[in-house]
Amino acid sequence: MNGMVIQLLGSAVAVAAMVALAAWARIPRPTPPLDAEAVRRLLAIDYPDNLLEDIWIAADGAGAIVRSGPRALVLSRLGDSWVTRDIAWEAALAAPIRGGRVRLKLADPSAPRLSLAVSGVNPWPPQGDLELAA
Amino acid sequence: MTLDPIKPAFDPVTWAIPVFVITIVGEIILGRLGKVKANYEARDTATSLLMGLGSTIAGALLAGSIALVSIWIWENHRLLDIPMTAWWAWLAIFFLEDATYYWFHRIAHERRFWWASHVNHHSSQHYNLATALRQTWTGGVAGTWLLWLPLALIGFPPAMIAIQKGISLVYQYWIHTEAIRRMPRWFEAVFNTPSHHRVHHARNARYLDANYAGILIIWDRMFGTFIPEDEAEPPRYGLVKNLGDFNILRVAFHEWIGIGKDLMSARSPRDVIGYLFGPPGWSPDGSRETSATLKARWRERQAAAEADPAPPMAAE
Repeated sequence: MNGMVIQLLGSAVAVAAMVALAAWARIPRPTPPLDAEAVRRLLAIDYPDNLLEDIWIAADGAGAIVRSGPRALVLSRLGDSWVTRDIAWEAALAAPIRGGRVRLKLADPSAPRLSLAVSGVNPWPPQGDLELAA
Repeated sequence: MTLDPIKPAFDPVTWAIPVFVITIVGEIILGRLGKVKANYEARDTATSLLMGLGSTIAGALLAGSIALVSIWIWENHRLLDIPMTAWWAWLAIFFLEDATYYWFHRIAHERRFWWASHVNHHSSQHYNLATALRQTWTGGVAGTWLLWLPLALIGFPPAMIAIQKGISLVYQYWIHTEAIRRMPRWFEAVFNTPSHHRVHHARNARYLDANYAGILIIWDRMFGTFIPEDEAEPPRYGLVKNLGDFNILRVAFHEWIGIGKDLMSARSPRDVIGYLFGPPGWSPDGSRETSATLKARWRERQAAAEADPAPPMAAE
């Protein structure tokens, strides 16, 4: 029993050291702020058959909401990777804004919520075609 | 020479832990120096390694009970007396265990109940040595260990089965890397390799449900699930629908929660069976995506592109 506890403690220390090394190494994939072309390219992976209409890009460039007919395609950065989901466009429009982020609730245990940064010059919901970076 | 048929003389995974640490450190440093292809993101790495640590704990909690079943079958119902000291016995269990692993792994991908336990291993969008350690917490509960019981029934001592399972797990560690592009052709033909296993971890439609091998890729070639890595389409790693955060509880349990929610909405025994044992993504009305539908749509797009290629660019 003692041996197992020692092994677990040793493993926990090794985990912490390896995570610290990974953080120090700074070798994630590059994820520059999104632009409309990048949004189209990334969403085309998961939604190859969808027509992308209006593109709204989050204030920090780390996400986007795109209208595709009655659906909103949501793109959100996670670390150095991307997560996509789709919800009803009306639900996206009605999503609340708290703490400078639009909070999207999803009926999906693998991603129950996604949030994207908004700002005064980049509000959600978009105020008209001029604010949609199509 | 005698070997204890019940208690393994050694645990290959425990012995390999220092190698795991050294090689992950090596992959990160070589990646940092630009010597090999290796991407690490700190939170993703933490998630993978904590899942590995949790898997060790979860495994230890159930290991005794699972071992008891294997021992009981071997002691009371074995068909043959297989000596642990015979070379042919190790050769036989090498092939039989690896074939068992192939079918376990295939079921773990193609049937949702077992996918719920295995999905966590595929939940990283990275493919590095740390990803190899992103192991299940719920494998014991899912009962996939039952598939190895026939080996005890045949007569392989439980210790021998445990050692061979450990050897298989350790073998599969090193193939979780982008640092190695291709092994020699003869090796790629027979063994599971980084290239073959990159395909297995890919979420590209064309690569779904392929390369289930443990050590030998021959099973995929025999049973029609082998897909080679295509240089023209690099694998994109992760799940068809990737996780929304790095919460390890979500990594471990999200598919089980999804099954629970679906069962609450089931309206018939057919729905219950489909949600539990259908392919991941199964739904009564077919409105969700399964690997089969994703692959079918990919094939349609490929056929359409071939039938109607883009017009040639005007000569400059």
